Amino acid sequence: MKLEVEGLTVYFPYESIYPEQVEYMRELKRALDAGGHALLEMPTGTGKTAALLSLIVSYSIHKSFKFKLLYCTRTVHEMEKTLAELRLLASHLPTPTSLLALGLSSRKNLCVNPHVLSAQSRDSVDAACRRLTASWVRSLAHDNPQVPTCPFFESYDRAASAGPDTLLLPPGVYTLGDLRSFGRSKGWCPYFLARQMIRYANVVVYSYQYLLDPKVATIISKEMQKECVVVFDEAHNIDNVCIEALSVSIRKQTLEGATRNLTQMSQEIERLKATDAGRLRAEYNRLVDGLAQRGNLAITDAWLGNPALPDDILKEAVPGNIRRAEHFLSVLRRLVQYLKSRLLTEKVETENPVNFCAAINSQAGIDQKMLKFCYDRLHSLMLTLEITNTDEFMHIQTVCDFATLVSTYARGFSIIIEPYDERMPTIPDPVLQLSCHDASLAIKPVFDRFQSVIITSGTLSPIDLYPRLLNFSPVISRSFTMSLTRDCICPMVLTRGSDQLPVSTKFDMRSDPGVVRNYGRLLLEMVAAVPDGIVCFFVSYSYMDGIVNSWNEMGILQDVMQHKLVFIETQDVVETTLALDNYRKACDCGRGAVFFSVARGKVAEGIDFDRHYGRLVIMFGVPFQYTLSRILLARLEYLRETFQIKEGDFLTFDALRQAAQCVGRVIRSKADYGMMIFADKRYSRHDKRSKLPGWILSHLHDAHLNLSTDMALHIAREFLRRMAQPYDKTGCGSKKTLLSEEDVMKMSEGAMDTY
Amino acid sequence: MYGAGVAFQPTSSARGSSKEKKRRDEDDEEEEDDNEGKGTDAWERAYADERSWEDLQEDESGLLRPIDTKTLVHAQYRKRLLLRSSTGGSVASRIQKGLIRYLYIVIDLSRAASETDYRPSRMAVVAKQAEAFIREFFDQNPLSHVGLVTMKDGLAHRLTEIGGSPEVQIKALMGKLECCGEASLQNALELVHGYLSQIPSYGHREVLILSSALTTCDPGDVMETVQRCKKAKIRCSVIGLSAEVFICKHLCEETGGTYTVALNESHFKELLLEHAPPPPAIAEYAAANLIKMGFPQRGAEGVVSICSCHKEAKVGGGYTCPRCKVRVCELPTECRTCGLTLVSSPHLARSYHHLFPVAPFDEVSPHGRPGQRLPTTCFGCQQSFVGQGGAQPSLRTSCPKCNQFFCIDCDIYIHESLHNCPGCESQRNSSV
Repeated sequence: MKLEVEGLTVYFPYESIYPEQVEYMRELKRALDAGGHALLEMPTGTGKTAALLSLIVSYSIHKSFKFKLLYCTRTVHEMEKTLAELRLLASHLPTPTSLLALGLSSRKNLCVNPHVLSAQSRDSVDAACRRLTASWVRSLAHDNPQVPTCPFFESYDRAASAGPDTLLLPPGVYTLGDLRSFGRSKGWCPYFLARQMIRYANVVVYSYQYLLDPKVATIISKEMQKECVVVFDEAHNIDNVCIEALSVSIRKQTLEGATRNLTQMSQEIERLKATDAGRLRAEYNRLVDGLAQRGNLAITDAWLGNPALPDDILKEAVPGNIRRAEHFLSVLRRLVQYLKSRLLTEKVETENPVNFCAAINSQAGIDQKMLKFCYDRLHSLMLTLEITNTDEFMHIQTVCDFATLVSTYARGFSIIIEPYDERMPTIPDPVLQLSCHDASLAIKPVFDRFQSVIITSGTLSPIDLYPRLLNFSPVISRSFTMSLTRDCICPMVLTRGSDQLPVSTKFDMRSDPGVVRNYGRLLLEMVAAVPDGIVCFFVSYSYMDGIVNSWNEMGILQDVMQHKLVFIETQDVVETTLALDNYRKACDCGRGAVFFSVARGKVAEGIDFDRHYGRLVIMFGVPFQYTLSRILLARLEYLRETFQIKEGDFLTFDALRQAAQCVGRVIRSKADYGMMIFADKRYSRHDKRSKLPGWILSHLHDAHLNLSTDMALHIAREFLRRMAQPYDKTGCGSKKTLLSEEDVMKMSEGAMDTY
Repeated sequence: MYGAGVAFQPTSSARGSSKEKKRRDEDDEEEEDDNEGKGTDAWERAYADERSWEDLQEDESGLLRPIDTKTLVHAQYRKRLLLRSSTGGSVASRIQKGLIRYLYIVIDLSRAASETDYRPSRMAVVAKQAEAFIREFFDQNPLSHVGLVTMKDGLAHRLTEIGGSPEVQIKALMGKLECCGEASLQNALELVHGYLSQIPSYGHREVLILSSALTTCDPGDVMETVQRCKKAKIRCSVIGLSAEVFICKHLCEETGGTYTVALNESHFKELLLEHAPPPPAIAEYAAANLIKMGFPQRGAEGVVSICSCHKEAKVGGGYTCPRCKVRVCELPTECRTCGLTLVSSPHLARSYHHLFPVAPFDEVSPHGRPGQRLPTTCFGCQQSFVGQGGAQPSLRTSCPKCNQFFCIDCDIYIHESLHNCPGCESQRNSSV
C-alpha cells in the first residue's frame, strides 16, 4: 500500500498498517528532515523494521538516492531478517527505481572457496583467505603457477579491473546467501564483491562492529559520505558494544604468545636481511615519509585500522627509534617484559592511563609516542615480512592494540590488574584489563560524521539516560506504545511465596532455604497450569547452579519433570543450541518444557521464545551486575564524575533493561500472547518498576503488583483461558489496530482538520 | 410436527433462561453441601462454593454490577446462529452434511482431571456434561453412533464399543470415574484410528477429545499420528479445560476439526453442545452414496422372543429386523445377525432438518422504523412485547420469509428445537 506521511509518499509492503507504525514513520521523517539524530523506542512485534525501512527507502527515493542507508544489526540472523523485509519492500516499490541493497559480513559468512571454509574460526578463515589472496602471494603465483591462489578472487579481480565504476551487481536485494550463490554462479568472490559494492549500494546491512569498532570502521566505512542515515537496530545494549570495542584484556597466555611471535619475527628479519635487504630498506623509507599512504594498499592486504582513530596520527611520521625493524622488536620485547612483571602482582591494582604510561616510560624506557605508533608499526612490519597466517599473530596484535589505546586516551579508561578471579580466589589467573568507561568515545565519530543516526529498540527505557550515556543530543526521542485488540501480555510482580514470606535474590536472602523453596513452589505451580513452553531467567550462572541443585535435593525438580521436561543453558554454545533444539521439539509435540537460562546470557539476548515456545517467562530476581567487579566500580565512578549519573540509578537502569529484555523474548507479534512474572519483592518498589519500558508498564495493573504464588496462579489460569478464545484481529471502532489505506487517508485528513 | 420437538423442551428452556437454571444448580449444590459438607462452616461455604463474585463485573466507571445473564445469553445465541448460517447450512449454499456420524469421545482421566478449578472437579464436570451431550447428540443425530475412550496412566482404553444407544454409553462412563497418571494423545489417537478405519465409507469419522491435561506423554512421534488421522479422514476436535495447547491446535487444524477452550462450566457445556449438530462434510469425501436400511416393525405386546442384543428371552416390545426377523431392543442400531442398519422413519425425518434449516431471523429494533406499525404480541407465544410496568421492550426478531414477529425465547425455540417457522407453515396451509 501507499500512504502519505506529511507530504512524503511512503511505500509500505503490507496491505494494512498498525497505527503506531504510522506514528513512528512520522517521527522518523521529522528527524530526517531536521537532519539530526533520533532515539525511538517501540515494542517488538509492532513491525519496527518494516516501518523503518519503508520510510527511509521512500525518503531516499524522494531525494533521488542522494544518501545511503547504513543499517546495523547485532547478529547475522537479524541481518538476514532485515534483508528479507527489504526484499518484500523492493517488490512494492514503483518499477523504475533501481535499489541495490546488500548485507556485508565477515569472510566466514561470505566465502565460497571450500579450502578456505574448512577452517573453523573467523580468524583462521581470514588468515586462510589472506594466504591465497595477499598481493605478494599473487605476484609470486604470477611467476610460479604452483603457488595456490583463490580462483574466485582472481576472476573477481579480472572483472573489477575492467573499470573502476563497472556495476558488477545488478540492482536488487542481496542477502548473504544470495551473494554466495551469485558469487558461485559467476565464479566471483562474494566477500570482495560485497566490499566493493557497498560504495554503490543504496542500503547496506551490516553488524555494529563495522561502524563502532574503530579498527574495522576505518577500512569498511570510511568512504561513506556525510548524508548517510545510520540505523542501530536493537540498540538497547549499544553502550556495552561501544565499551567492548575499546577494551582490551591481556592474560598470561597472551604475553607468552606475544613472546613467541616476537621470536618468530626476529628470525624472519634475520632471514630477510640475508636474502632481500632491499625490502626492509624500502619499508624504512616509507616510514620516514609517514604512514599516510596506507590508502594505496591492495584491497586484500587491508588491515584492521588503527584503534585509536585520531586523524593526526596518520599525518605524523613514525618516531625514529622504532623505524628500524629490529629496534621496534626490541621495544616490543621490553613492553611485553614490563607487562609480564606487572602481572606478577599479588594484589589488585587500579591505575589510570597517564600514570601507566609514565611507569612504562620510566621502567621500560618507552615513551608515549612510541606506544601510540605500536599498532601501525606492527602492521607495516608484518606486511613487509609478508606474514599471511595472521591468526597466529593475534597475541602480539593484542599487545600493540593495548599500547596504542593506553597512550592515546588519557580519560575514560582505567587499567585494572587482578591476580585472580574474585569468585575463585584460590586459582591464580592474573589478568590485565584496559577497560573503557565511556561509551561515547567509540560512537562519537559516528555521530560526528553522519547526519542522522537513528537508535531504536524495543527497550530503551528510561529514554533520557541514553543521550547522557552516549553524549549526544537527539532531535527526536520518543517511546511508542503498542495498540492491541486484546490484553495479550500479562505482567505480574510476585513479591511473596505461598507462605506469604517475601522472595528476593538480594544477597542476604538468596541462599535462605525458605526463599529457594518458595521459588521452587512457584515454578511447580506454574508448570502445572501453563501449557507448552516456560522460560525461566536467573540472575547469574552461579545462582542458577545453586538453586537448581537445592531444588533437586528438595525433590522439586522431580515434581517439575512430571509436568514438563527441563533444559538448562550452559556456557557451552553447542550444548545450549542442542538444549534449545530439544526444548522446541518438546514444546511442539505437546510434552511441554521449561528452559532455565541466565539474564545477560546468549539466550536472553538473541533467542526468541514466541508463540507456544514461551507462554510464560519467570524472571527470578533482579539481574544486577556483579557489583564487586573492579571494572564496574571504576565505570560507575567515571559515570558519576563525568556525566553526573548516580551509581544506584545506573545499576537499576542496567538491571531493569536486562529484565525487560528477558521478558520481552516471549512476545514477538501482536497475535501472540504471553505472561511475565517478575519474582522479587524489589520489583514492587516504584523506583525499580518505573524503569521498565512503557509497553510493559501499561499492562501492569495495580492489582498485579504485590502478588503471592496462589494469587499469581489464579490470574495465570484466567489469563490463559481468556487468551485461548477466538478473537477479531482488526479490532473495531475507535480501537482499530490495523489500518487499511483508506483509514490512513482518513486519519491524515482528520489531523488536517484539527490544525 | 415432530414429537422430538416436545421432548427437547426442557433443554431448550434451560438454555433460554439460564438464570433460572443457574439458580436451580445452586440450590442443588447447597443441598449437596448440607448432606456432605458438614466440615466447613456456613460462611466459608457461601464464598467457597457459590463463587458469587463471579457474577459481578466492573463497568467503565469502575462500579460493580451484576452480569446481565439474560441479555448475554441472547447475544451469544444470536452470534452463534449467524455464525452457523454463514459457515454452512444456509438453504442457498446447499452444504452437504454428514448425517451418519461415527464419533469417539475421548475423555481425559489423567492426573490433571482431578484439579478442582471446576467444582467439584474437572472430571466430574466433564462426566456430567458428556452425559448431557450424548443425549443431545442422539436426539439430533439419530442415525449416528458413539463410543467412549479414556486416557489415563499414559494409556488409552476403550470404555465402550461404538454403538447407537445413549443409555449404554452413559452407564459405562459413570462407572469408571477415577483419574491418575499422564494423558497420551498419541495412544488415544492410535486406538481410535484403529477402530474408525473399519467404518464403512459413508460414515463420518470423528473424534472429540475432552482434554484436561496440558501435556501429553507419548511413546513416539505424535506428528506422524496426526498425519495418519488426516489421511484416514478422521475429523478431530478438542475442547480444552484450562489453556491452549499447541499440539491440540495443530491436530485440529490439520484434520479440519475445531479447537476451543472453556472459560467455565457453562461455557464448557455450550462448547460441547456445539458439536451436536452435524458438521459440513469434507468435500472430496462427500460422494453421494446409497445406503441399505431396514425399517423394522414394532413387535406385538405379549410375544416372547429371544433378543439378539441381550441374548435372553424378553416379553413384548422390541423391533423385528425386516430381513432376518431377529428381535432387537432399541432403534437405531445395526442388526446383529445380518448387519443391516435399522432405523425408524422419525429418525430419518429428524436428521432432515440439518439440511434445510430455518433461516436466521432478522433483528428488529424495539421502536421499529417510522411509519411502520409493529404488532404488540409475539406470533409464537402470543405474549406482549412490551414489558410489564413500561419496562424496556424486549428484543424481537422477524422471519425474513413470512415477516412475522417473534420474541427472543420463541426464536431460540424455533431454531434450536422446532426447526420450522410457525409463520411460514401456517401461510403454506392457508394458501393450499
